[in-house]
Amino acid sequence: MAVYQYSWLILLAPLLSFVVIIFGTRMWDLASRPRAAGASTASHGHGDGDEHSHAAHGDEHDSHGHSDDDDPKVPALSMGAKASAYVGLAITLVACIFSWYLLLNSVFDAKALPYTGYDLNLHWSWGVASFLAPYEFRFHVDHLALTMLVVVMTISLLVQFYSQGYMENSAGYARFFSYLSLFTFSMLVIVFAANFLVIFIGWELVGLSSYLLVGFWINKRAKPAEDRLSPATSAMQAFVVNRIGDVGFIIGIMIIFWKTGTYNFATLSGQDLPHIAQSVSHAFAGDSTLLTIAMILIFCGAIGKSAQMPLQIWLPNAMEGPTPVSALIHAATMVAAGIYMVARTFPLFVASGSTAFEVVAWVGTITALYAALVALTQTDFKRVLAYSTVSQLGYMFVGLGVSGAVDPAKFGAGPGMYHLFTHAFFKALLFLAAGSVIHNLHHATHEEVQDMRKMGGLAKFMPITAITYLIAAITISGIPPLSGFFSKDTIIGLAYTNSAQVPAFFAIWILTLITAGLTAFYMFRAYIQAFGGKGGRAGGFWGSAQGQPEIYRGVGTPREAPLTITIPLILLAIASIVAGYWFGLFSYLTPGADNVSVVELFSDWRTWLGVGIAVIGIGWAWNLYARVGMERVSEVVEGNVALRFLHRLTLRKFYLDDFYYWLTKYVFLGIAHIAAAFDSAVVDGIVNGVAGLVTGLGKGLRRTETGKVQSYMYGFFGGIAALAIIIFVLVAFAQIQGGFLW
Amino acid sequence: MDLVHPTLNHFLILGAVLFCIGLYGALAKRNAIAILMGIEIMLNAVNITLVAFSFYNTVKPFSTFLTGQIFAIFIITVAAAEAAVALAMIISIYRKRSTVDVGEINLMKW
Repeated sequence: MAVYQYSWLILLAPLLSFVVIIFGTRMWDLASRPRAAGASTASHGHGDGDEHSHAAHGDEHDSHGHSDDDDPKVPALSMGAKASAYVGLAITLVACIFSWYLLLNSVFDAKALPYTGYDLNLHWSWGVASFLAPYEFRFHVDHLALTMLVVVMTISLLVQFYSQGYMENSAGYARFFSYLSLFTFSMLVIVFAANFLVIFIGWELVGLSSYLLVGFWINKRAKPAEDRLSPATSAMQAFVVNRIGDVGFIIGIMIIFWKTGTYNFATLSGQDLPHIAQSVSHAFAGDSTLLTIAMILIFCGAIGKSAQMPLQIWLPNAMEGPTPVSALIHAATMVAAGIYMVARTFPLFVASGSTAFEVVAWVGTITALYAALVALTQTDFKRVLAYSTVSQLGYMFVGLGVSGAVDPAKFGAGPGMYHLFTHAFFKALLFLAAGSVIHNLHHATHEEVQDMRKMGGLAKFMPITAITYLIAAITISGIPPLSGFFSKDTIIGLAYTNSAQVPAFFAIWILTLITAGLTAFYMFRAYIQAFGGKGGRAGGFWGSAQGQPEIYRGVGTPREAPLTITIPLILLAIASIVAGYWFGLFSYLTPGADNVSVVELFSDWRTWLGVGIAVIGIGWAWNLYARVGMERVSEVVEGNVALRFLHRLTLRKFYLDDFYYWLTKYVFLGIAHIAAAFDSAVVDGIVNGVAGLVTGLGKGLRRTETGKVQSYMYGFFGGIAALAIIIFVLVAFAQIQGGFLW
Repeated sequence: MDLVHPTLNHFLILGAVLFCIGLYGALAKRNAIAILMGIEIMLNAVNITLVAFSFYNTVKPFSTFLTGQIFAIFIITVAAAEAAVALAMIISIYRKRSTVDVGEINLMKW
């Protein structure tokens, strides 16, 4: 027991490394830089001296491309910058080991941590008034928190390790590591939150960290030719779009607090499921509609954070950030906070009945399908992955929704969390492998290449990246026995099983099956376009063979990434393979829940239907991009009106982004202009009018200050005379009336 | 013909008349010394009223007190001090500005 109460050490560890980096090693880094040779001049100079310095550092650090405006470089990292990375890594490593110990201890020793969990030895509260509920900073550790904790800490550790290679020689190296630590801390606030207030604080903190990290390359410009925003714009968009969801979230919290008088998850959902349903419903006086509305509003927060329809727009644009950031925040952890939050408030959803769960499931289904369709035609390597993330997050919500809407005690939040757990590893792997490609192509071509049409056959040059990416692609496609198969097919199968009670879930089953096929297709489309292609070895799955024509479509000669990049890839590839074998997860999260039954899963023909659809998707991708060839495919599509229309439709994201742009430009900005006019005319008018009135009055009244003592005496004695007359009249009047006053 | 024995009203009327004369002087005159004289007349008018009230009081035990008379003596004392201060100020002003016309002493104007 005691050891779990010390998990606050894990919570504060990233905060410590943030503080140490910001106030310590980063200052050291800045102080040790030569004053005259600024970061940008060092990398942009074309003088002889710079040529020498580049030669001295080898061509790996060659940086003559114009796109180096994007990320100012230093010739060599200072000790302070390196120390920043080592501080972050060391602290995260210790915290990561501790969190794995806590998880494994509670998995293998059921008595170590009860399902109700423990409060951490770290809480304080302040009451505004005795009759109000105090604001409590309270943290809690239980099975759900531990599951999320290891995901966050592991991905965070690997991404920090990877960033050493990816951010090499960046002028903002130390700043980058401090932001990563800040993000990890923010995420842990969500993970350990014991009440709605703390989770909301963490919610906003990750929003801030995401803003800082997406906008990390502050000098980078938008690339309209590639339909890409500038990082600063993307960061702001992510922040603003999340606010929309947060409005719903906070209103939902207020409704819950208004009715139950508490923010605490433990009070709200401390007992077993039937009891919660009773006590919460009792607090709502049987008004389950209001509770349903509150839960849907809280789900709005998850929609924003997890980029579900209709707030999915920000996540693909957030890919403008550095790739390790995309892997850490926009694939594995922060976007999964929405799923975690719904899993955390699962008992409240149960208490509200099945409607809210059905909303969750449908939002997830539609998002999964939409994002998969959009991902089919994207040409940007990272954007395919971004839409794939949106799609997989949709699956997680389907898992939560279909599990909760029918017999919630059977699986609990398990299916959604299962997919979250496995997805974190393989999606982080996909992003980090994509980052490896972008990084190495940057070295080869001296510019940022993310367009898959400029890749091809890269497997020959970077085999480790290609193999790890391939493993992740097979995993996400749902091919047994890799982890994605177990978690995804559990969700799809559950949708079918529960369609017996809720017929609408049959449609969800069909749609998620179609999405699974699309997923396999676009993942292998991306893989073959980048790493293989027509004319490559192994039927197009590999680069061109010795003596064969080169199938790499870009310039320069790419190389395999350094060890700092490949080690995390290999570790994550192993994790992607084995993460699905935690079959006891459901009963670990929810007491008495059924576990994943492998025998049942493998003996059901519908599982094999899903696998078959995925194989068809892979085969079709192979057919189009490895056999027919990319150029021929686009020729056919351009030549056929219907295909061209469909292609344009999904390439333009069904015009949703354009619609939002239109909506923002004309409707929201119009409202903003009206509001601004109202503000400057009416609100400012009232304020300025009152001030003008007082000023005018003062200007008039100052005339009475003549400075002549006799004029004051006139007033003085005149006033006395007037009072005397009034009193005389009143007394006389009262006497006539007959003793009114006395 | 009997001498008319003066009653309280005679003294009050005298006090009121004197007060009005003093007030007129204080308000209408431009010369600071004349204003000072007007103020002195007003003070003395009040003194007369006080002494008269005290003298004609028949209500026991207040009729045995000399409250009004004592008050008058205090006022005379204060008036003397006030006259000294005021005259000193007037002389000082005269030295600075060569005038005692209150119309021209208006430094406190807006």
